[in-house]
Amino acid sequence: MGVQRRPVRDADALMVTIVAWLRVGSTIAIAAAGALPDDLTTRQNALFILLGLVWVPWSVFVLFASERHGNPWALYGGPIGDLAGLFTIQVLASTTGVATLSGYLVVVAFTAYNVGRRAAGAIAAAAIGLAALAQAIVPAHDRLSAGAVASFAAAAVAIVLLLDRTTARHSMASARADRLESTADAILGRIGDGVVVTGARGEVLNCNAASERILHRRAADLVGSRCEVALSLHRDDRPLDCSGGCPLLGLTAPDDPLGIEVSRPVGDGRRQPLLVNAAPVTDGDGLVIEVVHSLRDVTRLKEAEEAKTLFLATASHELKTPLTVIRGFVEMLMQDEMTDDMRPMALNAVHRRTLELGEIVDRLLLSSRIEAGRVELNLREFDPVTVAAERVLAMSSVTGRPIRFEAAEDPPVAIGDPAALATVLDHLLDNAVKYSPDGGDVVVAVDTADDEVLIRVSDQGIGMDDEQLAHCFDKFWQAETSDVRRFGGTGIGLYIVRSLVETMGGTVVAARAEGGGTVFVIRLREPEEAVDEPARGESTMIGEFMRQIGVPAGGDVRRGG
Amino acid sequence: MRVAVATSNLILGFVYCSYGVITIIDLARGWRANGLSHFGLAWIAMAFTCGPHHLEHGFHVASGRMGGPLDLLAVAVGFPAGVIWFLLRVEATAGGRGDRFVSDDPWWVRALPPLLGVYLVAMVASAVVVITSHDTRFGPRYTPNLLLLGIYMLIGIYLFRTQLWNRGSLGGWSVSGVSLTLVFPTCGVMHAVYALYASSGRYHVDPHGLVIDWLAVPAAVYFVWVVRGLHEGKRSDWNRGAHGVRLATAPA
Repeated sequence: MGVQRRPVRDADALMVTIVAWLRVGSTIAIAAAGALPDDLTTRQNALFILLGLVWVPWSVFVLFASERHGNPWALYGGPIGDLAGLFTIQVLASTTGVATLSGYLVVVAFTAYNVGRRAAGAIAAAAIGLAALAQAIVPAHDRLSAGAVASFAAAAVAIVLLLDRTTARHSMASARADRLESTADAILGRIGDGVVVTGARGEVLNCNAASERILHRRAADLVGSRCEVALSLHRDDRPLDCSGGCPLLGLTAPDDPLGIEVSRPVGDGRRQPLLVNAAPVTDGDGLVIEVVHSLRDVTRLKEAEEAKTLFLATASHELKTPLTVIRGFVEMLMQDEMTDDMRPMALNAVHRRTLELGEIVDRLLLSSRIEAGRVELNLREFDPVTVAAERVLAMSSVTGRPIRFEAAEDPPVAIGDPAALATVLDHLLDNAVKYSPDGGDVVVAVDTADDEVLIRVSDQGIGMDDEQLAHCFDKFWQAETSDVRRFGGTGIGLYIVRSLVETMGGTVVAARAEGGGTVFVIRLREPEEAVDEPARGESTMIGEFMRQIGVPAGGDVRRGG
Repeated sequence: MRVAVATSNLILGFVYCSYGVITIIDLARGWRANGLSHFGLAWIAMAFTCGPHHLEHGFHVASGRMGGPLDLLAVAVGFPAGVIWFLLRVEATAGGRGDRFVSDDPWWVRALPPLLGVYLVAMVASAVVVITSHDTRFGPRYTPNLLLLGIYMLIGIYLFRTQLWNRGSLGGWSVSGVSLTLVFPTCGVMHAVYALYASSGRYHVDPHGLVIDWLAVPAAVYFVWVVRGLHEGKRSDWNRGAHGVRLATAPA
C-alpha cells in the first residue's frame, strides 16, 4: 500500500515557508543574543558558537528546502533540527526552564499543522524524551518539578490531537472551497459574457475579464463603483433606476437565459446594445445580498445582421443588373428581332455581362473561402515590381484608363504570394478607377522602407471621410448605403484585400491622398537577414544584477540553453 | 597601513550605500510598471548592511584603532572590481550602456585565475600565521562574519556560473558581470579577515558592528532566497514580462 499524504496546498506551502522563515529569524536572534554578554562561560561560549555556525545554516538549508512542496527535509528536517537546538540549549546552558519547554511545544504545534499527526506524534515523543533526558543531565537545582514535566507532556499530546483534528477539518473545507473557487474562476474567466456581481447597496463587488472588454473599463475601476455608473444601462433611452434595488430582477424572468435587451451610451451619441440578465443571491432569510448580472455585447451581431441585410440587397442588385441585360438581349435574339449587324453587338454585350457575373461570383466565393479559413497561400520570396507592373498594364488595357507606375531603382524582394498580390492590386485598381469617375491620376508605386516593401495605390477620386476610412475594410461595408448608389459593388472587395495581405504577413491601410482621393498602402515583409545586434546594457541596477546572476529581467531578450 | 585600510573601507562603505540609493531609485521608477521587486528589496537590504559595516570599520580604524595587512589584501581585489561595477551602474543610471562586452579572453581575464589562486594561497597562509602566532579565541561575536563568508561565496558561485555560461554561449565576457563576480567572494573574505583579526585581538567588536553584522545575516539570507527562487522559477519578479511569461534563463 502506498503512503497517503495530506495534499500540500498553497496555503500549507505558505505556512511551511513562514515557519521556515520564523526558524531562520529565531535561530539568528538566539545566536545573536549570545554575542551580547561579555561574561560567557566556556560552555555558553561553545553553545552560542554551535548555534550560530550549525543551527543558523541548518535553518537556512531548511528554508531553501521548503521551496519544494512536500520536501521531507523541510517537513521533518526543520523540527528535528529545532529539537536538537533546544536540547543543546538545555544541556549547555544548564536549564530546563519554561522557555525551552515552550520552544518544544511550538515545534510540536507547527509539526502537527504542517506535517500531520504521525510526524507530530513522533516529534512530541522525542521532545518529551529529550526534556526528560535534560532533567537527568542538568544539575539538580536547575531541574523542574515532576508535575511541570508531566504538564508539558500532556500539553504536547493535546496539541497533537487537537491540531490534527482541526487541520483535518480545515483542510477538507478549504479543499472544497478551493475547488469551487477554481471552477468558478475558470468559468468566469473563459466565458464570453460579462459577469458583474453587485452588493445589496448596488456597489460592484466583482467582475470578470469579459465584462472589462464589454464595458471598456478595467476591473480595478469597476469594482467599488456604483452599479448605475459602472454599467449605465438604459432601456428605451431612459436610464434604469437602481435606487430601489436592482431593476433587472423585476424585468428578467428566471427561466429566460438570454434576458432583455438594453443599451448603454458609449460616446458620440452612439449606444452599445446589450443582452442582460440578473439573478439574486440570497442569504438564509431570503434577503438579496448580491446580484449577479450577465452582459452580452450584441453590437457585432447587430452590425452583422445589418450588413448581411445590406449585402443581400446590394448583391441581388449587382447580380440582377447584368442578368437583366443578358435576358433582354437573349429574348431579342430568340424572337429574331435583330438585324444581322446588331447581332454581334448583342452577343458582345451578353459576353461582357457574363464576365461581370463571373467576377461577382468569384469575389463571393473567395470571400466565403477566406471566411472559412480555406485560403492557402504559397508564401515565398518574389518580385513585387513585376507583379504590380503586370496588373497595371492589364487594368489599364481593360478600362482604357492610363495608370501611372513608379518603382524603386533597386528592385525589392518581398515575402508573399504573387497571385494573391495580383488579386489585391486588381481590387484596389478597380476601386481606384471606379471611384474616380472624373479622371485624375491613378498611381501605383513600389518602394522599400524599414525592411518592408511598400506598395501604394492612389487615386484622385471622391475620397473617403473618417468613418469610411475606419470601416472600409469591414466585410459587407460600403461607403454608400442609400437607395441611390452611384458606384455599385458588393462591399467585399476591400475585405478580401485586407484578408489576403494579412495572410501574407503584411498590413494595408487606407488614407486620404494629398490633393484629394484615396491612397491604399500595402506593407509586405522583406526577407530577413541575420543581424548581429550589439549587447544592450540594462538600465537598472536590479535588472543588471538579475542579468548577471543568470535571471534575465523583463524585456531582456537573451536566449537560454 | 591604517590610512589605507580606513580609506578603502570608507570608500567601499560609500559605494555600497550608493548602490542602495540607486536601487531605491530603480525600485521607485519600476514600481508602477513591474510592481514590487523582492530582488530589489533584498539588494537594498544587503547594500545598507554591507555599506554601514565598511563605514563603521573605516571610522574605527581612522579614529585610531589598528588596521591589518590582511584587511588591505582582501580589499585589493574587491575594491577595483566594486568601483568598476559602481561606475558602470552610475553610467547606466545616467542613460548609458552600463556594461562592456569583451570578446574572447583578453590578457586581464586570463590573468585572473592565477592571480586569484595566489590571492587565496596568500590569504590562507597569512591566516594560518595569524592564528598560530596570536592567542586566537573565537567567540559568538564573530559568528555573523563567518556566516556571511558562506553566503557571499554562495552568491559568488551563482554569479560565476552565469559568467561561464556567457563565455560559452556569447564567446566573451561582460565586464559588469566579471567585476560583480569578483566583489562577492572578496566581501566574504573581508568578513573572514575581520573575524580572524577580531578573534586574535587586533580588532575590537563593539555593539555597532555587532548589530550591523547580525542584521546583515538575515539580509543576505533573504537575498539568496530570492535569487534561488528566481533561478528555479518559484518567484516572480521583474524577470517576468508584461504577460507573466517567464523569460529564458541561463542553465542552472
